[in-house]
Amino acid sequence: MVAEGLGPQPAVRLRAFTKNYGRLRAVCGVDLDVDREEIFGLIGPDGAGKSSLMKAVAGVMSFEGGSLEVFGTRIDSEKSAESVKERLGFMPQGLGQNLYPDLSVDENIDFFSRSRLVPAKEAAERKKGLLEMTRLTPFRARPMKNLSGGMKQKLGLVCTLIHEPGLVILDEPTTGLDPVSRRDFWTTLSVLLREKKITALVSTAYMDEASRFHRLSLFYGGRAVAQGSPDEIMAAVPGALVVCKTERQSETLAGLKKSFSDVQVRGSWLRVFVKGADEQEAVGRVGQVVGEGVAELRSAPAELEDIFIALLREKGLVVESSRGVSDMTDSAMPARIEEEGRGGADIEARNLVRDFGGFRAVDGVSFRVERGEIFGLLGANGAGKSTAIKMLVGLLPPTAGTGYVAGRSMLQAPRAIRERIGYMSQVFSLYTDLTVVENIRLYAGIYGLDRGRSRQRTDWILEMTELAGHEDQRTESLPMGVRQRLALGCALVHGPRILFLDEPTSGVDPIGRRRFWDILFRLSRNELVTILITTHYMGEAEHCDHLALMHGGKIVADASPGEMKRRLANETGGLLEVKTDRAAEAMEALREAGFQGVSIHGRQIHLLAPDREAAEHRIRKVLAEKNIALIAVSQQPVTMEDVFVHHVMAMEANGGKSR
Amino acid sequence: MNFKRILAVTSREARGMVRDKLFFAMAFIVPALLMLTFGYGLSLDVMHSPLAALDYDRTSMSRDYLHRFMDSPAFSFRGYLKSERQIYPLLASGTVRAVLIIPEHFQQNLLAGRPAAVQTLIDGTFPFRAQTVKGYVAAINNSFNLRELSLYLCRTRAMSRRRALAGLEPIKAQVRCLYNRNLRSDWSIAPRLMMMVMMICPPFLTAMGVVREKETGAIYNIYSSTITRGEYLLGKLTPYVVVSIFNAVVLWLIATEVFGAPFRGGRLFFFASSVLYVICTTGMGLIVSVLVGTQVAASLVTFIVTVVPTVFYSGMFVPISSLSPSGRVVARLLPAMYFTNIVSGCFLKGVGFKVLWSDAAVLAIYAAALFMLGYSRFHKRPAS
Repeated sequence: MVAEGLGPQPAVRLRAFTKNYGRLRAVCGVDLDVDREEIFGLIGPDGAGKSSLMKAVAGVMSFEGGSLEVFGTRIDSEKSAESVKERLGFMPQGLGQNLYPDLSVDENIDFFSRSRLVPAKEAAERKKGLLEMTRLTPFRARPMKNLSGGMKQKLGLVCTLIHEPGLVILDEPTTGLDPVSRRDFWTTLSVLLREKKITALVSTAYMDEASRFHRLSLFYGGRAVAQGSPDEIMAAVPGALVVCKTERQSETLAGLKKSFSDVQVRGSWLRVFVKGADEQEAVGRVGQVVGEGVAELRSAPAELEDIFIALLREKGLVVESSRGVSDMTDSAMPARIEEEGRGGADIEARNLVRDFGGFRAVDGVSFRVERGEIFGLLGANGAGKSTAIKMLVGLLPPTAGTGYVAGRSMLQAPRAIRERIGYMSQVFSLYTDLTVVENIRLYAGIYGLDRGRSRQRTDWILEMTELAGHEDQRTESLPMGVRQRLALGCALVHGPRILFLDEPTSGVDPIGRRRFWDILFRLSRNELVTILITTHYMGEAEHCDHLALMHGGKIVADASPGEMKRRLANETGGLLEVKTDRAAEAMEALREAGFQGVSIHGRQIHLLAPDREAAEHRIRKVLAEKNIALIAVSQQPVTMEDVFVHHVMAMEANGGKSR
Repeated sequence: MNFKRILAVTSREARGMVRDKLFFAMAFIVPALLMLTFGYGLSLDVMHSPLAALDYDRTSMSRDYLHRFMDSPAFSFRGYLKSERQIYPLLASGTVRAVLIIPEHFQQNLLAGRPAAVQTLIDGTFPFRAQTVKGYVAAINNSFNLRELSLYLCRTRAMSRRRALAGLEPIKAQVRCLYNRNLRSDWSIAPRLMMMVMMICPPFLTAMGVVREKETGAIYNIYSSTITRGEYLLGKLTPYVVVSIFNAVVLWLIATEVFGAPFRGGRLFFFASSVLYVICTTGMGLIVSVLVGTQVAASLVTFIVTVVPTVFYSGMFVPISSLSPSGRVVARLLPAMYFTNIVSGCFLKGVGFKVLWSDAAVLAIYAAALFMLGYSRFHKRPAS
């Protein structure tokens, strides 16, 4: 049901909204307005309060303080919440978790339309339209549990929209999805919302999805740190980003950290956010600090994450790590360079295959990880990343193929491998009722370290993973980011030369993630630890020296992040951003006109085109035919997401063959 | 109340229950399986206890004495032993549960009018069973004594055998057990098992069914929709009640057909009370499900609130009248006891509505109270 015209009130109005769970304050004092027919985003890490707020708006959870109005109705009781539910649709968090696994696609939709009392005829019509729109029609009879993640999410969307609500509340609909499905989901959502004149409140943990929203709110620690359109937020902290590349990365980093608060390593690049400076001034100031011997030094467009962290710093919400990169090394670490004198690969996968019943989770995966390198395995949930890692560390026998870790065959010497590696699993294997130090000592005991060595290693770990000050805290009381560092510390207890990290940053906030990456960087550069890390954050991929993209059990690309982007830019030209007055319609028109990689980002369209001038000319023509006003066309740098989507599309076009 | 919405919830629930393998097993297989395993395993009759004998006398009289044991269905004779050394290993391994030791000169002493002592060793690890075996030994021994004494009287006092026996046993106890003439424990246990299984299974099914939705987040489909909580509970619980009623019929068939328990009461009354009881226990599952949030917690709490009371306070193993005064109060506060009354009344005693209406009425009140409580505690807008 759509509200009659554009009413005077916004779809959602929150004032001083507060939600507590016992003594825990989940959301405190948030003011927020969602206007009619806009896509409003809530961006923030796990535990920032997004879900609590959305549940309250959906009327499925009570709250303690402040006021909430939905379509002008004040929600303060179960009764008032019920009165607006006819006009709401809510999709809770979790990939298809709220759907019914044993019911088919059809039956799932039917349940939602029947429980919403949609008349049978209308329900059938809407279902047909929505299934077509989401391209789910061929799968109507398939039980929901046998759908892919992307299809589940689209089915969830169909179920949420079947009664044509005026407002949909979607809680992290894209978390864990592969970039192709994510793009597809956003496109579908944008088109449907515009067609039906629906307002949407959508949350995400991915900073790079900010451009999908008309307006958004950045959440951290239960507060809205900033609000506005993506452009407004990007302008909230004046400053410029400078990137540079040097031979002596560690020293340069240490030097920069002394002068600037926001310094970050990303693969072979150092990134510095210079607050309050324009581009030229920023480059100059950074240049002064790094001095001679810089291979490259230039300004670059800042990302939302840079702004987010700068904002948190302004508001005093960031606890700084007390030291920069010291030259601290563990003298007692095994002299691994002597032990394995010859250079080369520390980890090598050769045609690894793993079947689970009739399902092939890993399909002929090969890659090499050089000593001291940070190697990223990037892919969606279910791409086969964890399975590949488990085979390499000897937790799971491969169906076919083999692998070498630290020069030893994983088939013949799994024990010897295990002594030389550290493994941090997706679920941090920590004992939550033990303190930080007790956890480290426990792992020292498991690896058979004697007392003296155990004490020595504990001190080293506390320093390396920046856990000083938390020693005697129970693990259960630690925030996610600290737990993650402790889990890393426990994996380091026996001084391994190779680290396997399986999605270590899932659910950790951006600041925690940055700090974690700083530690990984030190381990890699100062301690020469080889690191294999998996992640589904596209942005994080850029931290790696080398990258393998996984999709459907296969590796679809394998190169350094910069190389990958360069190749894509060479192959397809560049990324163009098209600003129009009607984005959804423009997207359809441009797709029909045969443009590649067309996707919708809020009010903008992104597409790939080789020749900018010719492309702009064609765009102008296509849009003019549909009477869509073109506001601007601009060149944008390609992102990891573009790279990933491009490779997956190419693979699917090739009939599933990789590379 | 909108019937269409209730139907939407019910049909979805029913489909899920049939298609989910685990749920299907819990709904349709577990109850019958529980009934069968408990029924066969829980027989309280002590029959065919394995017995061995060490006969030092080896006379016709000692063999005669032993034959009385061999012929009794209470014992199953496993053979003669050769020496005392064999006894303890056999008892320790559980191969035999009792050993009779007949001393030398058994016949000689008896014929000379001197008493003879026969030692019986019984495995006392299960007091109840040992007590029963002891009783059998005493009874068989007694009857042998009586016969010997009567023969002695016949011989010495020239009495007829009948007079001798009558003189020896002036009062003959004529005991007749009503309702279960042969005191077959399976007759009394099978119907009570019905009570127990129907106390455990419906709450499990219900609690898991509701809590599973909470765990996956599917409950938000309900919370965020226009379905009222009454409609949801009615739609959601109807399939569980229907399945449980179906199970009650299956269990009734197992009790009467497989275990051969006699059913003497009114079928209609019994069916109606079973329905009440099942609604009652489904309501208990509902209460559990509104209190906890995870399936693990739900199964634990359900176990505690169903199994414990049925074992101790339902009259299943221990009659309510044998409980301590406080135990009797607890028993009266729980629904299991009332259905036990109905079950044993309908099966063995053959009574019906006239005698048992009050028990049925308590169940009805109970069911109504549980559902009212569940309804009042279930909210579509909880605090967390």
